[in-house]
Amino acid sequence: MATTKKPEPVDAVVVGLGANGGTAAKVLSEAGLKVIGFDRGPWLRANEHYSGDELKFVNRNYMWPDPSLFPRTLRYAEDEVAQPFSFSPTPQMVGGGTNHWAGWVPRPRESDFMLRSLHGDVDGMNLADWPFRYEHLEPYLTKVEWAFGVSGIAGADKYEPYRSKGYPSPPLRPTRYGKRFYDACNKMGINAFPIPHAMVTNDHNGRDPFNKTSFWNQYGDPSGARSNVLTTFIPDALATGNFEVRAESFVREVKMGKDGKATGVLYVDPDGNEVEQDAKVVILALGAIESARLMLLSRSSQFPDGLGNSSGLVGKNATFHEYLFAVGLFDNELDEPLNGFTGNYISGGSLEFYETDENRGHIGGCIISASQTCHPVNWVFPGRPTWGDALKDADRNYFNYAMKIGLILHDMPVESNRVDLDPTVKDAWGLPVARITHRPHANDIAMGKWQVDKNAEILEAAGARKTVPVYLDKMTGNTCHQHGTARMGTDPSKSVLNEWGQAHDVENLFVVDGSGFPTATGVNPTLTMMANAWRCSDYIATTYSKGRAERLAQPA
Amino acid sequence: MTLKSEWEIVGEPVDPDSTERHFFTEHEWNTVEAATARIMPTDQDPGAREARVIVFIDRYVSGIDYIFAAADGSGFLKLAGKHADAWRGRQYKMQDLYREGVKALDAISRNVDGKDFVDLSEEQQDQVLIALSGAPKPIKVTLGTKEPVTTFLQGSFDENLPFFATLCLHTRQGFYSDPVYGGNKGQMGWKTIGFPGPKSLKDTMDGTYDTTDYFYDGDYDWYDLIPHLKSQQAPRDQQP
Repeated sequence: MATTKKPEPVDAVVVGLGANGGTAAKVLSEAGLKVIGFDRGPWLRANEHYSGDELKFVNRNYMWPDPSLFPRTLRYAEDEVAQPFSFSPTPQMVGGGTNHWAGWVPRPRESDFMLRSLHGDVDGMNLADWPFRYEHLEPYLTKVEWAFGVSGIAGADKYEPYRSKGYPSPPLRPTRYGKRFYDACNKMGINAFPIPHAMVTNDHNGRDPFNKTSFWNQYGDPSGARSNVLTTFIPDALATGNFEVRAESFVREVKMGKDGKATGVLYVDPDGNEVEQDAKVVILALGAIESARLMLLSRSSQFPDGLGNSSGLVGKNATFHEYLFAVGLFDNELDEPLNGFTGNYISGGSLEFYETDENRGHIGGCIISASQTCHPVNWVFPGRPTWGDALKDADRNYFNYAMKIGLILHDMPVESNRVDLDPTVKDAWGLPVARITHRPHANDIAMGKWQVDKNAEILEAAGARKTVPVYLDKMTGNTCHQHGTARMGTDPSKSVLNEWGQAHDVENLFVVDGSGFPTATGVNPTLTMMANAWRCSDYIATTYSKGRAERLAQPA
Repeated sequence: MTLKSEWEIVGEPVDPDSTERHFFTEHEWNTVEAATARIMPTDQDPGAREARVIVFIDRYVSGIDYIFAAADGSGFLKLAGKHADAWRGRQYKMQDLYREGVKALDAISRNVDGKDFVDLSEEQQDQVLIALSGAPKPIKVTLGTKEPVTTFLQGSFDENLPFFATLCLHTRQGFYSDPVYGGNKGQMGWKTIGFPGPKSLKDTMDGTYDTTDYFYDGDYDWYDLIPHLKSQQAPRDQQP
């Protein structure tokens, strides 16, 4: 390890340059703060490094975290030894998950912010209201939709709450399976519509969305179609002259000063040097697993159990949104081809089943969507024969005759579902890795079962001649969505962060990713996260950095 | 250290007709090729043998020179630093898995008919694969059923799988991945299942490759697809 350098202090450091760190970098640097952003992964160039290579992007780990460098471990019960598993493998790189995502960006619902008020104590669940409401987030949802670029049709979602503005870009034309989905939903009285999509189909903000390859979910996009922080908010931040990216730089600790404030971060640069970077404000946006891990790694005499962890809640109440689905197969001799490889993953979806209906035997609900069955190596047919004539026939007969309707499971917070430090497994830098302990709540299993069966019913209405439902038995983190490990709330004994993402314990430490979500919501979380990151960053720029403090009036 | 964003492009696309062996011995090459031909057999359409899946696997397990093609398919990325170390470590294990796997195939084969795997009939080879996999030979998909399964992680990493599962996965990858990696010769895997893939990876980077024709090709009107829109005021900022 080479000598420690000590660069000039700055106004703010942002750790993790994905959806939320990128948003913070943009908002803060545009407000005039001097900001340095760190990412442990690379700073790739979309137009130079991305293409439609299924093996590289989906199977090998060009963007997925390398499991030897960044291992995680997983266990399903307290008395098990956690095993290495690539749980929730969100890409760790500049742009983070917005590099590889399909980009579903539906808005949350009003009920998402008040599950405890709606349902009270539910056995085994640790429900909490958010310390703000949909109306507080709405202006920021709109800002993200327009600055980042979202396509959709305003008014098409029958159940969407108030919106102050429409969408900047119209949706793509439907795919063949998308058309089947709309027809089936209309037959069943379900409100189907194009799920808002983090892509543009026009020249919004000077973009050039030439990519019509259908290489989309899990691939990088070389064009200006996908809304990726790497190609939008990072360049916006750099254009201010106030922002610097330090990529392939691994932040291993947040440093504390004697005054109870964070002094900055300690990181390992690409050449292996340990460097301390001081800053007036430290902003964490590593994702709910790695932000919690960094807090737990940052022990000091003031915080022997981890930074900002006087509540003991850092890492707990983790929620992960398993993706469940049903696949339908059609008859290649009787039916029209569905071309499941086409599209930009999602093509039609619904929030018809989102709100609680106690008759279903569970609380909450989730978004559903018809989506790509993807490309030849990995096309989605769970239970496919593994070898021989049966395999070849399965691929040949059904590759173009399958469709899939998925859901994002609205899993409920359970305090013992958590992220902590693995007692034995270390990463390539010698530091303990994140260990996931998770057992789904009975409500998660019931909700998944009910909705997967409903999806299979829609497939049957669409004409499917065989269905393969995928039910929840355990979490794998397959959505890369992570939330809850540093809850926002008003009571410092029951939450880690306040309503601005500011640590109750450390006034200049902010966490602006999904860590703060008290509950997971039943929609894809990134739009909500980015809007919240914008909102918290606005507070840092306009209030906290000016030496002031404000509290949001709490709903009665 | 060379940053990942600056990894060099070296080499060139793999020639599927190459008979040069980078890792396997001749016997291993022939054995693995024969096994892939039972996993993705030849019938009226080409199988793993014709698609040169063996070339794909040989190059992959040979080291770390064929892990990631350059984005435009002009060659391969030269891995550096910790990433190179991580892949090198995995590939040592992978080489061992194949070397021992071929021995295991032959050992089972000699119990079947006193011969090596490559010298058995196709039916006998299937018996060996059944024994190796510990499961019956898969039966054909039938329609008219509902067959539930449970959750799994998307994407298929090939680390820490048993030999037979590895061989099945690599056969599939070699049959269907971009031809730059040495398999899927002349896109014959893609043609077999009706996937109209790009002529080259470069065509996926510049707008040349376009799948719009495979989307819904009829006329459509959002007001018909979404009846709810009819009860709405005109959307504020753009018409559907």
